[in-house]
Amino acid sequence: MANRFNLPNLGVGLGLRTVHYSRILEAEPAVDWFEVISDNYMETAGRPLYYLDAIAERYPVVMHGVGLSIGSTDPLDTAYLANLRALRDRTRARWVSDHLCWTGVHGKNTHDLLPMPYTEEALTHVVARVKQVQDVLGAPLALENPSTYAEFASAPMREWEFLGRLAEEADCAILLDVNNVYVSSRNHGFDPQVYLAAIPFDRVVQLHVAGHTDHTTHIIDSHIGPVTTPVWELLGQACERARGASVLLEWDAEIPSFEETHAEALRARDFIGGSP
Amino acid sequence: MTAADSGRSTAEPIALRERASATPQSPERRPRVRGEIETETSPLRVEREASPASLADQQRWFARAVMTPESEASPIGAALVTSILTPGPQLGPLGRLEIYRRAYHLRLIECLLDDYPAVAATLGEEAFEELCRKYIAVHPSTDVSLNAYGRNMSDLCRTALKPPFSPVRSASGDLSFVADLAALEWAIVEVIHAATADPLTMTGLAEVPASRWADARLVATPAFRMLRFGYPVNQYFQAFREGSRPEVPPPATSSVVVYRSGPTIWRMDLSEAAFDLLHALTSGQSLAASLEGASAALSGVDESEAAGRVGVWFRDWVSSGLFSSVEFA
Repeated sequence: MANRFNLPNLGVGLGLRTVHYSRILEAEPAVDWFEVISDNYMETAGRPLYYLDAIAERYPVVMHGVGLSIGSTDPLDTAYLANLRALRDRTRARWVSDHLCWTGVHGKNTHDLLPMPYTEEALTHVVARVKQVQDVLGAPLALENPSTYAEFASAPMREWEFLGRLAEEADCAILLDVNNVYVSSRNHGFDPQVYLAAIPFDRVVQLHVAGHTDHTTHIIDSHIGPVTTPVWELLGQACERARGASVLLEWDAEIPSFEETHAEALRARDFIGGSP
Repeated sequence: MTAADSGRSTAEPIALRERASATPQSPERRPRVRGEIETETSPLRVEREASPASLADQQRWFARAVMTPESEASPIGAALVTSILTPGPQLGPLGRLEIYRRAYHLRLIECLLDDYPAVAATLGEEAFEELCRKYIAVHPSTDVSLNAYGRNMSDLCRTALKPPFSPVRSASGDLSFVADLAALEWAIVEVIHAATADPLTMTGLAEVPASRWADARLVATPAFRMLRFGYPVNQYFQAFREGSRPEVPPPATSSVVVYRSGPTIWRMDLSEAAFDLLHALTSGQSLAASLEGASAALSGVDESEAAGRVGVWFRDWVSSGLFSSVEFA
């Protein structure tokens, strides 16, 4: 089943990382698609774009951002939005995503994906801003559930309810990170099945998997190491509901060779049955 | 161009800087901080601040807590934190908030480490981390991107550092060597991100009519920086890149050009005379005036030898792609 946005199923992709640039361009390995971190290619006019152009010429690309700060009470950065659209046009990215979070306020940027209080006020605020972003892009924005380590006592909604309502009211897409679902479920003590059951899967255009680090008292979304079995199993369950969603592995620290990283991504095929 | 005149050009590997959505964590490289994430023993202070009600207030509160240096007590009292954040299965509200404070500082330290690997190796892990924490406190990020976040490091080293950075302090007690090294590493970052321009070629230069040479001005390619140092930092940096652990050198003036050709970053030592000529050529002086200045600087050298030297320099700079166009007054 295609998603309601008719965005294509790109298969199993890999997050593009600089340590793999040379190998990819030399060997041109068969990879279904690459996800690029939008922000790495926006405040630059130089070498990052040299490599991005070369990759985008050879592979389908999707843009994934960390700087939109969709939940901040600071005004949306219109220059950032213009740059985002220009980069999308340059790379012919199939879609653009970012996170359900805020990164800073009062002009200061923490560069972290900070948690939202899941309140009606926050929902109204974010819905309006997602619509503004989609107007600039002329396309649906996909928002990702972040890993969180704190929840606000004032929040009447849980994240899955907030994300579902946001997607419906803003008419946006969802990038469901099943590793983040798992990490947050452990950090907050909820059942990930409850989370999956609440997601409008016709809006899920992409799924993320990644490794994490278990500190016993909490789990950090470190993107280090192989994906754990519970996360692979969540991927399989999510794929049953979101047939046609593209799958992507993120690996951001202690990154192994391209071949090893790609092989880990391709393990997804063992868990997603006939889809994609 | 002779080796003595030009030094050597050295390829850089692909820069590792990139943003990611991962949460940084490196417990083995943990800073001197007050307590551990697991602790809930922050002193309970009199709460003078009402619990934030609006989204804006909650974000202002959260950001203040996250951006407070880890060496300081949380600016938010435990009772207030407990009224705002819920406990998790195994961590209390304060411990959960501390995860974000730690991640904020680690992310920016990692960013500065990406930009300044040689400075980090020179200072050592502990001193570099302390330097970064000072930097973060003085320079909170106000940009959406981290690409330019580290731009003030050389200035900070030059003006604001005090012991315990004694291992690399100069005889006069300052950190001028580290400041020079930081300036070189920052020039590399700037050149990585500077715009790409088509280089001016010898063929393109040949199209300039002879009658217009006197008032011709060369335009430097955007991915080009010239630096003058009080220490031989490029030689030190090269040794670091080759895997050795060089000693901090004694003061000696040096001149370096950093530029990018395609994806490759190059560094080139220049003699004083060559540096002065290239500086004149790329700072708006006409070709005639620049060459006159070079001739004066080489007044002790045989005229034909001087002309030959300048010719070699010039052809090398053009073939290296240091110029993007010719303009006329």
